[in-house]
Amino acid sequence: MSLQKPPNSIKIIAGNSHPQFAEQIAGYLNLQIADIHVIDFANQESAVLVKESIRDEDVYIIQTGCGGPEKLNDHLMELLFMIHACKAASARRITAVVPNFPYARQDRKDKSRVAISAKLVANLLVTAGCHHVITMDLHASQIQGFFNIPVDNLYAEPEVLKYVKLKLGTSDLIMVSPDAGGAKRVASLADKLDTPFALIHKERAKANEVSRMVLVGDVKGKVCVLVDDMADTCGTLCKASDLLLERGARSVIAIVTHGIFSGQALARINQGSLAKIVCTNSMPLSNVAEASGKLEIIDISPTLAEAIRRLHNGESVSYLFNNPV
Amino acid sequence: MRKCKVFVGNSHPKLGQLVCEKLGIDPAPVTLKKFANGETSVQIGVSVRDEDVYIIQSGSPETNDHIMELLILISACRGGSAAKITAVIPQFPYSKQSKMKKHRGAITARMLANLLIMAGADHVVSMDLHASQMQGFFSKPVDNLYAGPTLAHWIRQNIENYSEAVVVSKNPGGTKRVTALADQLKVNFAMIHTDRRRTRDGFMGKKVRGKQPAAKINTTENGEVEQENVIVSTDIQTARIVKGHVVEDTSAPHEEPQVQHTSDIANDNSDDEDEPEFNASEKLITLVGNVQNRPAIIVDDMIDKHTSFIAAAEHLRMNCGAKKCYVVATHGIFANDCLERLNECEYIDGIIVTNTYPISETKAQNCKKLTVIDVSPIFAECIRRDHFGESISVLFDSLAVIT
Repeated sequence: MSLQKPPNSIKIIAGNSHPQFAEQIAGYLNLQIADIHVIDFANQESAVLVKESIRDEDVYIIQTGCGGPEKLNDHLMELLFMIHACKAASARRITAVVPNFPYARQDRKDKSRVAISAKLVANLLVTAGCHHVITMDLHASQIQGFFNIPVDNLYAEPEVLKYVKLKLGTSDLIMVSPDAGGAKRVASLADKLDTPFALIHKERAKANEVSRMVLVGDVKGKVCVLVDDMADTCGTLCKASDLLLERGARSVIAIVTHGIFSGQALARINQGSLAKIVCTNSMPLSNVAEASGKLEIIDISPTLAEAIRRLHNGESVSYLFNNPV
Repeated sequence: MRKCKVFVGNSHPKLGQLVCEKLGIDPAPVTLKKFANGETSVQIGVSVRDEDVYIIQSGSPETNDHIMELLILISACRGGSAAKITAVIPQFPYSKQSKMKKHRGAITARMLANLLIMAGADHVVSMDLHASQMQGFFSKPVDNLYAGPTLAHWIRQNIENYSEAVVVSKNPGGTKRVTALADQLKVNFAMIHTDRRRTRDGFMGKKVRGKQPAAKINTTENGEVEQENVIVSTDIQTARIVKGHVVEDTSAPHEEPQVQHTSDIANDNSDDEDEPEFNASEKLITLVGNVQNRPAIIVDDMIDKHTSFIAAAEHLRMNCGAKKCYVVATHGIFANDCLERLNECEYIDGIIVTNTYPISETKAQNCKKLTVIDVSPIFAECIRRDHFGESISVLFDSLAVIT
């Protein structure tokens, strides 16, 4: 019997939020997803059981923030339980892979007496026993500072650039930010594609509701590409698209990282003036994609798979910030 | 105010004094000195047992010394059994380092937040944090006050036909701040983008120039469209910047007297800390929006370096037809010769900042264009309300201007 350290071993655990995505990541890494069992008790509580040994293993738990009104909190709790279960089972290192970070929009006290829920979720993850977090296109990159563990915020931008260059070409394009907060993201894309950009400012009446819109920039005769980090109810995107067409745009395409599509979002897009909406597969979209002919999907799992591989092998992740996989 | 002590640090005694005057109390006695080896020493001259303690310390040119002083003050009050300690930090130091730069950056603002909490602060009051998400860095409550209403009030009072004005963000990252002010003033806004990557030829071809008549038509259009609840503006105007100054694109490679600035231009796209630092001396500056024949107001949260403001002002006045150009910010940090340079720039008509950050008297007197707005009433009112357990949210109201 030798006491030499066993080879660096890795385990991928998939939560119930987006099993297909986890499958894809594991596929790229040539790994099997570890066997876990989730028990749902009659009173809506759930329990997690990891069915193989993870002692001294490098564990990656893939769970995205999704599921709408019924399931989102369940998935978050499940993630916390899985982390805790791994901790109790003596995993060497636990990394939560959360492509779409839940509650990311509640990241500051924008009104009096609101909770900074993103901070709370960060604290919960750390308390549960997480050592590292991988996420993608955080709503505000300051959320990284809410954790006192390392956070790798990956960007979908390289894949989006690749998509635009291959599928749309860059002539006649104009990048448009649907709100003032996203101007930086759009300016960065526009620089890399060498296209002009414009922005729309909305004066919000209520959350998730759009009122007056102001367009700054000239879109006449151009193909407009609306870029945002997430599409939720799609009210903004549809209104923005109407406004752009009214201002003489040839057609309007939307590219978002996280396609949340709550409620009537896809029906709205199908009836609306958007020519196409492109999103990554960070959220489960299998049923949804069939429902909408306008939806196109960029596969982002290679980026996450590569990030996991690099992290596991102790290589630099920064290559992924500027290069598609 | 009973059971309340206000300590004033060395960073900005004048602001502390003003706040105390507004509160009608004297600053609590404290001896702040430095040992010969550079260590800071604090001696509190009054009992703080079971008292509500407020410590006013802003950023300053000697940031690190004053941070240490603040931490030691907090710790001394904690050791002196104060009931509650509130750090009042009008300009939060290191706030630009609030996120990870693309490669291996430290989130220094978070570290500073941890230090404050560790030292024993129970509550933090600041103004116009560089990113409002920074409130989440603290495990204790943070009140982020706004200078916006006060600045808007000044603009309404002092800028002729301000309703015609356009507020301009000098980089895409600051657009959100600018739109907030634009909404308050009910005026239009525009944005400037400076970029090093674009090829000049590729962009010049598409460039819109000499479009003055068209712009005028746009203005009338605005009127009609506004009634339908949609406003449209504009064309995009682009020019070249060489060594921090806007040049006519017809001119040959420009000869510039101020060659020594080449280095800071490279890293001064200000808000975009995460951008790689190129050493290019030639960039393209683009205005998105319309300022033709209107006063332009460049708004940002802080002024620390001058180059991007000057380039923006030159572009607005020379190429985009702005009538006047004002620079408005909450924190006037004015590193090095920034203030002098802004004052010398003929395209800037006024520099407006608040007194959250100390500006030396002689500097301020030599700068005729500078206006410093006093925000001590806001802090005084915040301290008073906090002490008596009243709501602070009225201070956030866009209409409330306390003078």
